[in-house]
Amino acid sequence: MAAPTTPQPAPQPTPQPSLDDLVAAVSQVLLGKQRSVRLALSCLLAGGHLLLEDLPGTGKTTLAEALARCFGLAFRRVSFTSDLLPADLTGINVLDPSSGSFRFQPGPLFSQVLLADEINRASPRTQSALLEAMATGRVSVDGTSHDLPRPFMVIATQNGLDQVGTAPLPESQLDRFLMRLSLGFPEREAERALLSGGALPLEAMASARTPADLLALQQRCRQQHSADSLLDYVLDLMGASRAVERPGAPLSPRASQALLAAARAWALLEGRPFVTPADVQAVFTAVAEHRLDPLGTGERSATLLGQVDAIR
Amino acid sequence: MTPAQVLPPRRLQWLAQAVLTLGCLGVDPGWLLGIFTLVLVLMAALKLLEARDRAGRRLVALLQLVGCGLLAAQQPDLLPSLLQLLAAVLSLAGLLQLESGLSVGWRLLLRRSLRVMAAALPLALVLFLLVPRIGPFGAGAGWPSGGAATGLSETLDPGSIATLVDNAAPAARVAFSSNRPPPPAQRYWRVLVHSRFDGSRWLRDGDAERAPSGPPPGLIPPPTAAADSDQVWLVEPSRFTAVPWSGTASPLDPSLRPQPTGELRLLRPALERRSYRLLEQPGPPGWQMRPPRIVDLVLPLDRNPRLLALGRSWGSLPDPLARVQAAERWFRSQGFRYSRTPGNLPEPNGLDAFLFERREGFCGHYASAFSALMRAAGIPSRVVSGYRGGAWVVPMSGASYLELRQSDAHAWSEIWLPGRGWLGVDPSAWLAGGAPASAAAGEAAVGPVLGPLRWLQRQWWGLDMAWSRWWLGFDQTRQEALLTWLLGGRRGLLGWLILAGVALTLGLTLPLLRSRTAAVDRPGRDLAVLLRLLRGMGIEPAAGETLEQLSERAARRHPALQEPLAELVRCHAERRFGAGMDPAAARRARQRWQYSLQLLIRRRREALRLTPDPDRDHP
Repeated sequence: MAAPTTPQPAPQPTPQPSLDDLVAAVSQVLLGKQRSVRLALSCLLAGGHLLLEDLPGTGKTTLAEALARCFGLAFRRVSFTSDLLPADLTGINVLDPSSGSFRFQPGPLFSQVLLADEINRASPRTQSALLEAMATGRVSVDGTSHDLPRPFMVIATQNGLDQVGTAPLPESQLDRFLMRLSLGFPEREAERALLSGGALPLEAMASARTPADLLALQQRCRQQHSADSLLDYVLDLMGASRAVERPGAPLSPRASQALLAAARAWALLEGRPFVTPADVQAVFTAVAEHRLDPLGTGERSATLLGQVDAIR
Repeated sequence: MTPAQVLPPRRLQWLAQAVLTLGCLGVDPGWLLGIFTLVLVLMAALKLLEARDRAGRRLVALLQLVGCGLLAAQQPDLLPSLLQLLAAVLSLAGLLQLESGLSVGWRLLLRRSLRVMAAALPLALVLFLLVPRIGPFGAGAGWPSGGAATGLSETLDPGSIATLVDNAAPAARVAFSSNRPPPPAQRYWRVLVHSRFDGSRWLRDGDAERAPSGPPPGLIPPPTAAADSDQVWLVEPSRFTAVPWSGTASPLDPSLRPQPTGELRLLRPALERRSYRLLEQPGPPGWQMRPPRIVDLVLPLDRNPRLLALGRSWGSLPDPLARVQAAERWFRSQGFRYSRTPGNLPEPNGLDAFLFERREGFCGHYASAFSALMRAAGIPSRVVSGYRGGAWVVPMSGASYLELRQSDAHAWSEIWLPGRGWLGVDPSAWLAGGAPASAAAGEAAVGPVLGPLRWLQRQWWGLDMAWSRWWLGFDQTRQEALLTWLLGGRRGLLGWLILAGVALTLGLTLPLLRSRTAAVDRPGRDLAVLLRLLRGMGIEPAAGETLEQLSERAARRHPALQEPLAELVRCHAERRFGAGMDPAAARRARQRWQYSLQLLIRRRREALRLTPDPDRDHP
């Protein structure tokens, strides 16, 4: 638990190890995407799942793998295609010829970071099997349930919906993703650095952190202090999203939990033991936009932020 | 709290000023203290007009509160006291609004203000009960310019009054501790004593209305058995220093002096409503046994020959009492009638014309003629004017009282008999037509038709009476009794007792105030101050903007402010959103905030000083 700070004499708030190196490490691999990297890391620290939505070749896979590597997590990648079956993800019971009994052969879900590439190309049936595993943290095969490893994070990528052969995720399943990010094209300078070989290859990424460290950080994240006035701010945002005359879907209680969790993680990355409205605002678009308007252009969350007084 | 309830910054102080000014209407500018008060209130208004900053408005509040106190010292009656209370509450609310920094609704401000007043009440009570009284302010200073009226006059000259008009204006009210009025026969309230007679007019003593002489009455021992005979008088403004009384009571107020003639005189005329307390004493009062002077027998021999002859015919009777009885018989046998329109009496022998030709007149005629007859018969006599009767009023709440109106004004005679002293004789009672109408008027007014205004007035006066009895009645004597009861003979302990009382009440009420203020949202108030400051620089919060963004924007516009702004933002976040601080940490955080805010203001001032004249640095 973060000790209450004694603001005398210097106002440096936290005596906790800085997490800046984490951001720096991932940013070395993914150039010029500091903000997206921070958001993705917040998502990881908050224990949520991440949906990356962008064109091919913008660095989605790189980000996912870098996230896995900086905590030394087991990483698997599955390309979702239209003929992918749920069992291909969860694994199946196979007959062991030596013992004559069935043995569970775990599928790619049994990893710590699963990159679900192009999730919207798979059939809804497969999608829902994945999302069920994401929600409950376990899979059931032939009546036996198997716990997924911890930490467990799904990073799904999704191509633009205008592309051929895609099945859009229903809103209820979008809700299971803590955040939706879109990386976008890099800045000119960042791309120049990329071309001139300034980016660190993934294989060269080394980290002293272990999966246990991640679990500890996630625990600390949950203990970040959120004052009453901050909760009021979150609730005001929720209330504004649920106003009758507003277009788009209202935000659910799950969304408010997700928002607070993400804001806590963001504050932790900032090195602060408590959450401020600025943290909430920083993560708000990533957390709320895909719930407010799955197909839209990303302006509803900004409108919503403008409706609620953040100076308090 | 909706913004609709929030008042503009100086509205409350203006309201307080208005009420204060209203309270000033009754201030007597003849007193030094009155002038001082008026000047102070005027200064407060002018300062309020020009005050833009916090220090100025604080000064206004201070002036207003001091003004309230000064007014309270001069006008202790119920209505002025209520006005002063309202002014103080409003002024305090204005001050609280100033100090709270946030836009707080006026209801809350008024509630807080009342709370502060309530917290001050025990302390005020201790001071009120224990701190020794000083005499009335400004006693004996200045003289009236006139203008007030009563139904009585300096000179009693019934012959010059052709028509008596009923004047129903209130003159005085008196409440009795027994809550029972005296029997009607005893309701003679003497005010003026006319001893000098010039043949047609009865005049007061030459030195009347000069400052009354005589030692102040000694302190009466605290009433024990006599507590029942306590009277509280409220008299309307009058240009006389003489005030009504029963003649047998003794005053408890050092500014009231009974005179040798039997008048009760204030040190100076009451230009506004006065109240005083009298204590009914057993035994004859000093003035009653005082032997007559020459002036009580003087009768001009060249006027009213028939009257002189009649009086002298009774003078042969040896017993003075027999002469009075002879006069009574004579009056009863002559068929005198009461009349409000007797017409002017001819000069110089007006009383002869009244007694032997017209035989009709009002109380003044009878008292005047009877007193003159008695002097002719060799009995010292004089005329007393005052009030008679009065209506007993029982309001719904407050104290019951006897109401005297100007129409109750009356005149009667007083004669001196050896061994019995001065005795009142009312020749108007001997009329053939029964009781004189002037005295009956008061009783009749209580009759069935009582206008709603009159009714309201009586209810209010009832409250007023009660206030005077219980609040103003706590004077030196009562305080003395209380102190004696508390301390016995050890009066040296009074200082310690006051100190202990003050410490106790402060100890009880201050933590109350403190705990209330601790509950106030300090970070929120401080934030409001910062936002106002930024607004003053033209930086308004945009929709949905966080404090961080706002301060970054401000720092971009005024780079010198970046450092304190960043610190303020950090400090605010910690105080507002950080995990619970212990009080010491909260204080330190607030100190940091204050320090950074001061730094911000200083930097801002420096920046302002530099910008308007950029050439100065590079001449």
